[in-house]
Amino acid sequence: MKKFRVAIILISVLLVAALAAGCGSKPSGQSGAGGNAASGGDTIKIGFMGALTGSEASYGIETLKGMNMAAGDLNKAGGVLGKKIEIVQSDHGSQLSQAAAVVQKMISQNHVVAIVGDPTTGKTKLAAPICQQNKVVMLSAGAVGPGVVEIGDYIFRDTLLDSVAAPAVTKYLVNDLGWKKVALVTSTNNDYSVGLTKIFEKALADNKATIVDRESIQDGDKDFSAQVTKIKQSNPDGIIFTGYYTEGGLFMKEVRRQGMNLKMAGGDGMLSPVLWKLGGQAVEGSMVYTGFAADPANAAPQTKEFIKKYQAANDNKLPDMFSAQGYDAVMLLARAMKDANSIDPSKFKDTLAQTKDYKGVSGNITFLPNREPVKSPVYLLEVKNQQFAIKKVIPTAAPTE
Amino acid sequence: MENWLAGLINPYYEQVLMMVGIYIIAALGLNLITGMCGQLSFGHAAFLSIGAYTAAIMTRNLHLPFIPCVFAGGLMAALFGALLGLPVLKLTGDYLGIATLGFGEIVRVVFTNLKITGGAIGLAAIPRDTNLINVLVFVVLTVWAMSYLHNSRFGRALAAIREDEIAAESMGINAMFYKVQAFALGCFFAGMSGAFYAHLLQYLNPSDFGFARSFDILNFVVLGGLGSIPGAIVGTAVLTLAPEFLRFVAQYRMMIYGALLVLMMIFRPNGLLGGVDFRRLLRRRRQKAAVAGN
Repeated sequence: MKKFRVAIILISVLLVAALAAGCGSKPSGQSGAGGNAASGGDTIKIGFMGALTGSEASYGIETLKGMNMAAGDLNKAGGVLGKKIEIVQSDHGSQLSQAAAVVQKMISQNHVVAIVGDPTTGKTKLAAPICQQNKVVMLSAGAVGPGVVEIGDYIFRDTLLDSVAAPAVTKYLVNDLGWKKVALVTSTNNDYSVGLTKIFEKALADNKATIVDRESIQDGDKDFSAQVTKIKQSNPDGIIFTGYYTEGGLFMKEVRRQGMNLKMAGGDGMLSPVLWKLGGQAVEGSMVYTGFAADPANAAPQTKEFIKKYQAANDNKLPDMFSAQGYDAVMLLARAMKDANSIDPSKFKDTLAQTKDYKGVSGNITFLPNREPVKSPVYLLEVKNQQFAIKKVIPTAAPTE
Repeated sequence: MENWLAGLINPYYEQVLMMVGIYIIAALGLNLITGMCGQLSFGHAAFLSIGAYTAAIMTRNLHLPFIPCVFAGGLMAALFGALLGLPVLKLTGDYLGIATLGFGEIVRVVFTNLKITGGAIGLAAIPRDTNLINVLVFVVLTVWAMSYLHNSRFGRALAAIREDEIAAESMGINAMFYKVQAFALGCFFAGMSGAFYAHLLQYLNPSDFGFARSFDILNFVVLGGLGSIPGAIVGTAVLTLAPEFLRFVAQYRMMIYGALLVLMMIFRPNGLLGGVDFRRLLRRRRQKAAVAGN
């Protein structure tokens, strides 16, 4: 009975403490400023939605780094409309069920005017209706899947879409590398792959290349000998592979085993060192496109500066796509607020939508009338000596429907 | 009604409270299966997802009213619960646990590959029909139903099966019949809970209903005290609110949450309210008062 009482007291103390802290604590932002409503206070609050723990933490942490860098740069230059930018951070622990509460909290407790996030498409889709209903601008710095900006006129994203990148890459493959006959490989249980295949099919048709062979694989497959044998018979100029790096690496191994010297091209689903860890020499020369590559030598001036600053703060590590897009997201929001001369989301959402050819650190950004972003350029990387090296920087154009 | 509520309670707290209510419904369902009837289930999230997807597809694609869809979600989950229960409840203990775990994975994989559920991309644009009032009403209904069952002939039969199945059989209780009924009924509540979940989050993804989620719900019940209705409610409330209000400690949040669980199991292995009979406590207090009065 005594033990019981001790436990009860212990737990109630913990709970009360947690409750008190939960209710009493002011938004835990970077500057730790007071919790007035954004419109009345002297700070502009921008929320970060993403994971700092759990399986998606690496995306979230990088995005937040970029956002904090942007806020620092803006505040050093005097802030926006005379107010400091404050990043309100949150963490949903990579869990869908917590994401809604996190977003709701930032909107109703911290009174953010805009939220940057989530890096994943799924959680962006969950948060977007909440932002739309509460009239808070949401700018995702990572969502690439379909059906995001369609949710409402407060919803944006600053990522390179496959529908923009793949046609540009296809044009290069067909016209510059002479891929007139192409084998197209799809992983049928992978939504990303199925979607990307559709985009490539259209792009290949537009560029008058023929698909001489279509092969289906599944994520998790290990043996591709049957598919590769069929590809051999059709004798293509190159292979377009829309799946992930694991299958990509193994697939190329089989291609080399059967004595073909073909090269493979694919989307950023293959952007991982695992590609050559599994594929070894077989993936040398394979090409992968991505929206951002840290290339200190050939980058645009603003990107160069960003890379330098990022390296200074992060032990010389090169920034990735998420930190660059997080940086651009905050900069885009700040610019829209300046243009609208207001931090009212219902006003600056319109100026944000008019963003045209903005020179961001992750590339040039234009929002189409349907709020979908068009980013330029796309980086085509090539595996060279078991490393990704930039093969070609390709300018993109708005998708034609 | 909604506006009146919005003025009274911060939307964030409202969101958290709704989540607690939704989990309470699911936990009470599992409490019926595991707590009252003693059948281990590691697949409760699967029934939650069946209810969630059924109701969501009905309101989203067929534009049916919400409350009937909640019941439909519950019924669909109950149907699958009965179908699974018939072969699987012949197993006992760990074996049953593993069979239900397997079923949970099957459901998740099926939802990932079905077209109507949106596959791995998930199901978005579900109308937001869940509100604090309808969640509260269903929580009250569930609690009432559970306490009614607890003290009924049915509830006593389940308790007999839990304590000793062979003895129960020898007393003329058709154990299989009662076990399947309890399983289906527990799944019915999980399905309803899932329906509310879907219409609160407005987005469903199969990856959200993995083994971890099943385990969460089992945690609620075990921490609260197996077989105790107030226990399941308190356990759910504590374990849902703790991670939410521990947000201020950021990265240490889940560590404290884990420590809380460990402490609990050391000090109260039967759960917070396990083995606590409120009626008996009240009676004893009254007796004491009477003695003191004399």
